[in-house]
This record gives sequence, C-alpha cells and structure tokens, in this order.
Amino acid sequence: MSAPVELATWSGEGVSIADIDNALARLRAASVTDGGGPNLRTSVMTHLAWVPDEWLDRARAALAGMAEQHPSRTILLLPDPDSGKDRIDATLEVETYTPPGMDCAVSTEVIELRLHGMRAKAPASIVLPLLVSDLPVFLRWRGEPPWGAQELDQLVGVVDRLIVDSTEWDDLPFPYRHLAELFPRTAVSDIAWARTSRWRPLLASLWPGIADVRTIRVRGTAAQAWLLLGWLRSRLGRDDIELEHVEAERLEGIDLDGVPAPFPPGDPPAPSDVLSDELDRYSRDPVYEAATIAAASA
Amino acid sequence: MAAAAEQENPLLEGLLPRRTPDPFAMVIFGASGDLTHKKLMPALYALLMRRLLPERFAIVGVARSEADDESFRADMEQAVRRYARDEFRQDVWDELAASLHYLPTDFADDAGEDRLVERVQQIDEENGLCGNRVYYLAVPPVAYPTIVEALGSRRTHTGWARLIVEKPFGHDLESAKALNAMLLEHFDENEIFRIDHYLGKETVQNMLALRFANGIFEPIWNRQFIDHVQITVAESIGIEGRAGYYESAGAIRDIFQNHLLQLLALTAMEPPIDFSAESVRNEKVKVLKSMHTPGPKSVVRGQYGRGFVEGEQVPAYREEQGVAPDSMTETYVAAKLYVDNWRWADTPFYVRMGKRLARRETTIAIQFKRAPHPPFEEVAAEGLRPNVLLVHVQPDEGVSLAIGAKVPGQGMTIRTVHMDFLYGGAFRTAMPEAYERLILDTVLGDGTLFTRADEVEEQWLLVDAIVSAWQRDRPGFPNYAAGTWGPPSADDLLHRDGRSWRRH
Repeated sequence: MSAPVELATWSGEGVSIADIDNALARLRAASVTDGGGPNLRTSVMTHLAWVPDEWLDRARAALAGMAEQHPSRTILLLPDPDSGKDRIDATLEVETYTPPGMDCAVSTEVIELRLHGMRAKAPASIVLPLLVSDLPVFLRWRGEPPWGAQELDQLVGVVDRLIVDSTEWDDLPFPYRHLAELFPRTAVSDIAWARTSRWRPLLASLWPGIADVRTIRVRGTAAQAWLLLGWLRSRLGRDDIELEHVEAERLEGIDLDGVPAPFPPGDPPAPSDVLSDELDRYSRDPVYEAATIAAASA
Repeated sequence: MAAAAEQENPLLEGLLPRRTPDPFAMVIFGASGDLTHKKLMPALYALLMRRLLPERFAIVGVARSEADDESFRADMEQAVRRYARDEFRQDVWDELAASLHYLPTDFADDAGEDRLVERVQQIDEENGLCGNRVYYLAVPPVAYPTIVEALGSRRTHTGWARLIVEKPFGHDLESAKALNAMLLEHFDENEIFRIDHYLGKETVQNMLALRFANGIFEPIWNRQFIDHVQITVAESIGIEGRAGYYESAGAIRDIFQNHLLQLLALTAMEPPIDFSAESVRNEKVKVLKSMHTPGPKSVVRGQYGRGFVEGEQVPAYREEQGVAPDSMTETYVAAKLYVDNWRWADTPFYVRMGKRLARRETTIAIQFKRAPHPPFEEVAAEGLRPNVLLVHVQPDEGVSLAIGAKVPGQGMTIRTVHMDFLYGGAFRTAMPEAYERLILDTVLGDGTLFTRADEVEEQWLLVDAIVSAWQRDRPGFPNYAAGTWGPPSADDLLHRDGRSWRRH
C-alpha cells in the first residue's frame, strides 16, 4: 500500500464538461514533481457511483480502500433534484502516488459532480463525455434505485455492470422483482450476495444431505437471508424450502433444519474488498440471477 | 438423499473455482538455513494470512541443530517478523506456530530417518493430514541422495507425495542426468518440483499474458518484424559470502543455465495449446532444443575488478573472502544466441548477466526493425530510435514501448518517447513473493512453473558446450570494473553486428 504524496483539487460551481476536462489537465500537469517526468495516469475502468447525500460518507470510505486495487477514473454523481437550481457543481481530485520501488508517480482522478435540478434527471449525457475510452464502466448505485425512473434507465444504458447492495433496501424481497427486470440489460452484482460467498461453498459441501433440507435459518441481514433462500430453491429446484430469519448486521450463522452449518474461517472481507471483487467480474452471473428471481417469488 | 447422491452437486455451479489445497505435512530439510528463514517461512505466513492454506496442515523442520518445537517456533517468529512482506499479526502467527514442529537429525543414519517418519506419521494422525507430504530439500545438493533415498525407501501408498528441489540442479549435463535418475528412482516426474524461483515472479508469468492474451503482439513476434532481442540479468551485489558455491558455479551456472534460459524460452516459445504444465513445458523444451551452440566469438566472459557501486568502493572478485587470488571464475557472461526455427531464424538473442554491474535490473527488450521508408528528412528523425518493447522483470515491474512521436512545434522533428505500463501503477496491491506462488502450486500439484527433467538436461547441454570451449583459452581477468556494465568485449559482441546494448 502506498500513501498519497499529493492531492491536487479544484472545484467550481455551474461548470461545463469542458471546464472539467481543462481543470483535470491542469491538475495533472501541476501534480508533476519538480524535475520529474510526467505522471502516469492509470485507469482500469470508469467507476460511476450514484450517491444520494445520506450515503456520501460511506461511499467515500469504500472508494478510498478500493482505489488500491482498481485505479480508475471515479465519477461520483450526487443528485440534488430539489435544490431549486439547474446546474453542475464539480470537485476534482487528482491523487498522485509513488508506489514502492517505482521512480515515477502515478495519478488517478476522482470527479465529484453535484447535479442540481433537472441535471439530476439526465445523468447519462453528463457522464458519457467523461468516460475513459475503451475501458469498462461500472455503476455503484447507493440505496434502493428508483425503479422505472429515467436517471436509472439512462445510466443502466451506458454501463457494463450495475452494482447494488440490497442490504440498503427496505421491504425485501419485493424489490428483487424490479432488479430482475434489469438483468437482460446489464450485468448486475449485489454486494449482499457477494457477502454470502464464503458460506455458499460450505453449504455446497453438505451435498447430498442438503438436498432434502426443509428450513434454512439465517442470522444475518434480510438481503442475505432472502438471497440464500433463493439460491437453495433455484439450485435444488424446490420452492418448498422455508426461511427463518434472525436479524443481524452481518452473516453470523446458518442452520439447516436446526443443525448449524460449518462456519467459514477468517474474518469477513472489508467493504472495499467486497466492492473490489465485484469490479473484477465482467459478465452476467446466471446463478445469482436465478437466486434473485427465486427470492423475489418467495 | 440416495437419489441426490448420484446426481452432480447443483450447489457447486457458479462458485468461484478456488484452488483449495488438500491437507498436507511439509517437511523442510535444512530448516535452520537462510532459505527457510528468508523465504519459506515468510511465504507460508503470507499464504496463511490470505487463507490460501488448507485448514489442516503441518510444517516439520528438520536440521542438525539441537532444538525443539518451542525454540524452532521462536526462531521462525523472528524470521517472519524480519522478512515477511506483511505486517506481523499475532493471531496469524499463533495459528502458523501451532502447526510448526522440529526434529533434530543429521539424517545420515537409519535411526534418524525412522524417527522422522514416525514423528510425521504421528502429526498426520493427530491432525488428519491424509498421508499427503511435501518434502522440501533446502539443503546443499550433496545431501540430496541420502535424503531422497531414505524418503523413497519409506514411502507409503497413502496420500500423495511431492518433492521440491532447489537449484543448483547438477553442475553439468552428466551430474544433472545422474540426479534426475536418482530422483526418478523414488519419485515420479509429476511428483518432482524443480524450483527456478524466477518462474514464480509475477512479471515473468506476465510474459505469457503479454504474448498470448494480446492479439497485437503475436503477429509481429517473429523474425519478420523483430530485429533482435536483448535479455539482461544484472546484479549490483557481489557474491555475498557465497564464495564456496560461486567459485565452482560462476555466472554461467548461477544465472545462465536457469534464470536466463527460462526468460529466453518464455520469450521465444510457440503458443502452448493450453496452460497446463505439460503444454507449457513442451514448448519451452522445443526452444531449448532449437538453440545451437554459440561459437567462441559469440560468448564473452568477464570477472569484476575493484570499482565503485553506488559511490562505495568495492573489492575485486579475487579479493572477496574465500575466493582464490588467481580465480578464473567468471562473474559475467554475455552471448549471442540463435533459436533455429521458423519463427526466429537469423534473429539474434543477445543475453548478458553478471555481478557487480551498474545496477540491479532484469529486462527483456524486444527491438523491432526500423520503419522501412521514413518519409521525413534525415535530420527530423535523428533522435528517433527503433521501437523497443521492454519487459521490466525487476525492478519497476511492467512493460514499456518506445515509439516515435512528433515534437510539438512548427517543424517536423521526431523523438523517441516511452509508453509505460507499470504494475505498481495499475495494480497497487503488493505483488506476491515468488516462493508463495511456488509453494502453493506444489501443494496443489501444479507443475507449470517448475522445470522438467528434460528441460534441465537441455539447459545443461548448452552450458556444457559453452564451458568446454572455455577450456581452450585463458582470458585476462579481471576485465571489468565493479559498477560498470561489463567488459568492453561485450560491447564489441554487438558492435560487430552494427548494434549496441540498450542505453540505460
């Protein structure tokens, strides 16, 4: 892990995309160390995040850890449709690092755009000129997406993968029906599903006994409980498996017909690591999709 | 449930194919040595921290030194604290320490051998290790036969057995063949893991990704487009107190026979049909078989005299402790090699390696042919050099491409600029140590990154031919100053062809 040696920032109100491009170029030029060559601008993707205000702190925290593994151009979209204005405010950061053992510095960019008024309704036209060419585009949607709204519809149309965390949603499993409608349009990841990944191999190891399971009892979030139920139902081809859910902040245990399942070794991964793992995936996950659809119809 | 037992497990679908090793016991012969302290134990600690070891495993250290489990654990804890790439975590260490055991024996008598087998068997039964064994020979080669024969004669048919053999693997073709024959008497080829730690380096493996995962390179990766290849394995350090070994090995056995020929083989090999151990190694062996012996004028050897490295005066090789004052051991080798096949005919591979050179650097430079007819005035392109694809194995791990670009301004002036991909920039997580990958691959039974018997023998065939030619002359050593890029005759090797070594 390398520490940032320089953080160049710029901000402006009522800016255009050209203003942002120009400011980024100036920041990159200014971040060159005295006497040094040009910094390498490294990106392996464009990472979009739709972040309503209440999620901003958590989004920034996850971002900080993730940049270690996925240097990217990150565009945080902060919607503010009711602000009474109609403009884009921007804050740009160019982070410059000198990784251990390297002579030259590396820079990555974070673009934070506050979309006022109608700008929050047309986000695709704002991010399209800012995407890094030829690299995949990932969209992390914080909170429950506004199903059917045009901002969601537009952004799903420009990204390669939508990443949600259904732990952040209410009234589960109902919203999974809406999420499933997006499956044909883009690859989808759910961090709640990713957080069950250490447990699923252990449950799979209980085959063939698990084939006859009648009840799964999950101590964890509602999202994890529903998705694990959906997974068992869809994989085993049975819709008669019952769920007992005991609320907990994280997945703490699974019982099958009253018998505890094996506990995975080690600590659960950090939020940034879970997001990071999802960013390594590029194609649709039919097992996850089937689990979600089965959970929705439970 | 009875019906389910006959079906394929539907819950496995979509689970990430994680490579999970079987339970095992690893017996390290030479547990009190440098390799165990500096590489093996830090690697095991890193693997455990990342949960890449199975839940049940045991490490049994074997050495002559009198010690017990507790003192061995204390010694290894110091090694991990000092050499591990990760911060020390007490919980991880405690878990690793609980699996460590020690047995003092010189292994030269039957009683010692029996005691080891009994102890490992007892640990196996206590921990449920299923009879799986990894034997790590971290001892001088002279001890191999005693250990291997003892292990072979006591093998059981329970579980699997794997044997890790460190370099040097023989000192010539005859000894390598004898060693192979001895090992194969007791272990199958797929149970023998000959380590060349260069193959465990991420950047060396990246050569395969660079060549075979990118459609743009392979069509031009041949004699039609490539003028020549330069491979450099340079060290700025001296022999670091290893005179006993180095005096009999020299640069050609220390670096050329293994690391350098591996880099060359990965650069020149044909695309394997898949990434299995046999497919990859088959292609590497074909390259070695295609290489013809360089004549005396195509090989330069050198030995460093006094000089300065990083501003510090350093002694000549012959002044190093334990080195004969009239030693004729080479500390530098440069050679022009050819791979005689359809892809590479008449394309020279210039290689050089040595100690006390100007800096530590391992690179593979692919120099392409110049543009056939640049339409610019000669003066416009005088700063333009040929395109070079440079693979940095260490340091600054990555790849760079030298291309010509117009200098901003009214006229047409062209200069060479570099486009860089640096591992540290694109993937900021620390790269694993080679030994982590190699130990894990051994436990998993994946021999792709290990050297096969016929590969070693082909390497020695080439080395023997070069060394035998050296018997006929006696160069004036020392012939290069420490801290420089080697003897002038190495420059002449390329100048004769109208080329030069890469500018550093």
